[in-house]
Amino acid sequence: MSDDILQVENLKVEFSTYGGTVKAVRGVSFSVERSKTLAIVGESGCGKSVSVQSIMGLIPMPPGRITSGSAKINGHEIIGLSAKEANKYRGVEIAMIFQDPMSSLNPTMTIGDQISETLMVHKGFSYKEASKQAVELLEKTHIPEAAKRAKQYPFEFSGGMLQRAMIAQSLACNPTILIADEPTTALDVTIQAQILELMSELQQSEGMSIVLITHDLAVVAKMADRVAVMYAGQVIEMGNVDEIFYQSSHPYTLGLKEAMPSNQKDKGKKLTPIAGSPPDLFSPPSGCAYYARCPYAMAICETQMPDEFLIATDGDKNNNQKDSDHYSRCWLQHPDSPQVDSLYQSGRTNVS
Amino acid sequence: MLKYTLKRLLAGIITVWFIATATFIAMHQVPGDPLMNDKAVPPEIRKNLEKKYGLDKSVPEQYVIFLGNMLKGDFGISFTQQNRKVNDIIRDHFPVSATLGIMAIFIAAVGGVLWGALTALYRNRLPDIIIMFLVILGISVPSFVFAALGQLLLVNINSFFGYSILPVAGWGTFSHMIMPSLVLGLGTMALLTRLMRSSMLEIVNEDYIKTAKAKGLSPTRIFFRHQLRNAILPVITILGPQIAAITTGGFVVELVFAIPGLGRYFVQAVQQLDYTVIMGTTVFYGAFLVFMVIVVDILYGFIDPRVRLK
Repeated sequence: MSDDILQVENLKVEFSTYGGTVKAVRGVSFSVERSKTLAIVGESGCGKSVSVQSIMGLIPMPPGRITSGSAKINGHEIIGLSAKEANKYRGVEIAMIFQDPMSSLNPTMTIGDQISETLMVHKGFSYKEASKQAVELLEKTHIPEAAKRAKQYPFEFSGGMLQRAMIAQSLACNPTILIADEPTTALDVTIQAQILELMSELQQSEGMSIVLITHDLAVVAKMADRVAVMYAGQVIEMGNVDEIFYQSSHPYTLGLKEAMPSNQKDKGKKLTPIAGSPPDLFSPPSGCAYYARCPYAMAICETQMPDEFLIATDGDKNNNQKDSDHYSRCWLQHPDSPQVDSLYQSGRTNVS
Repeated sequence: MLKYTLKRLLAGIITVWFIATATFIAMHQVPGDPLMNDKAVPPEIRKNLEKKYGLDKSVPEQYVIFLGNMLKGDFGISFTQQNRKVNDIIRDHFPVSATLGIMAIFIAAVGGVLWGALTALYRNRLPDIIIMFLVILGISVPSFVFAALGQLLLVNINSFFGYSILPVAGWGTFSHMIMPSLVLGLGTMALLTRLMRSSMLEIVNEDYIKTAKAKGLSPTRIFFRHQLRNAILPVITILGPQIAAITTGGFVVELVFAIPGLGRYFVQAVQQLDYTVIMGTTVFYGAFLVFMVIVVDILYGFIDPRVRLK
């Protein structure tokens, strides 16, 4: 645990709106190890983006408000900093790329200028030095004819090329962490694969950590070392990527898996959607947020918020190992709860 | 870019021809003619005059002659001002109107962008509320009211200090231009302020502003490098038509401030049905406005690369 680059602790974010206060993030904790990838998954509106954007200080305040929590990069607190102090980290230690590369770049500035701007501001480069470096960065992200491309404007790029340019821009100051907020959602499938390929390649050569936000489990399986599953503003299950896929310990994670198409077995089988919709975050339920949609719901789930239960590695819940860091927020993981076979079955069948 | 410019110019020429034709037809539809004006002329003198001005010819013939002369840049001589060529009237008085118009547009554009940006920065706070109140005032009060108020203000200031700081009316020196161009630009400035404000507020929510923040740029840098240039685009779009509004709308202000601009002659000519002067000034104004719109379009291309390169 000592090699954690980013540590987020009990983060809570609210938004004041005309309709009331939306509790978008309700106590999220996670940490990212050096050179590793953490994937945050969950359906729309579960607080994935809000969590990372509040770490970056990108939440408009007001209406947004970080009510509690801390986020540390290499031990330095970054929440609650003034814009000036935060800019020592933003773009330098921690960089971010966004969902839609088409709208995330300034349409009236050349790609090269937008990349060199970061270098000039943070590293004090001259315009000439920065432009040269910008071309090198574009080359690093495999943009052909980088020198020519640097002089072009975003509208002259395709979506995939723009996301490459965004990545080049984020790499400008060799950040230790790259936050990628659904980097492939707006791209078509073949380009998605290329961008993901590029990201893991750069992760290896630059040694940065990645926080990958996505709702695509296939992307998670390909990229992640650790996975945090979010639901209604909370992390409801967290573990290594294999644990999450082969030993899913929360009914929601299970539901996500059931809803994902697969091309191996179960051909012709209908996908099972998760019925219903996420709870209203104006007044989140006092118990488990997944209660209303959960096929295994028990009486206690309605009234009491489940704790984080550690899951033993081999699926035997009586054999709790202290060093496991796979946990689930579900009462089913309580030692006194009834055995729900399908939860464990689904895990076991795939372990070879 | 060259092709784009040429295309715009060609469209401009067609527009001007259209304006000329429409004016010609409209004028010949109006009852009466320039010779019927002040005193009754004996029929034989009238015949001579008609011959002199070519009014005895049929309307299509007149139209062809008019177009031919227009291509040569000759608008003929005035009916009411003896032996004065329309070209001379334009040459003598248009520079005055143009100077006034350019100053007014300059004041309006700079003021509009500045105030607009300011209100967006102070959104829903006191400076925003005050400026937006003034903007509503500027849009809804007509320019002749401001002209009269401006004069009154100058009179009071001058009499308070005991000597003339700014002249109340007239034309000639730079100090003569300040108040009229301010008054003339006020309405447009108010309009541009409102446009700039909404454009700025829209751009604050754009993704690339978020990117700029995530890059760790300072708020000042984000404002100047990323926000302002993109927010100015819609303002420039509307600048073309606004130049039209200001130069043609200028004659009220010209009248109040006793400025010898072209606008006054234009109005006079319409009252007296002075065919040649009406035709000349209308076509000239039309051509000028079309030209300004093209200039603005080309200018737009320089600020927005998407227009320039496509």
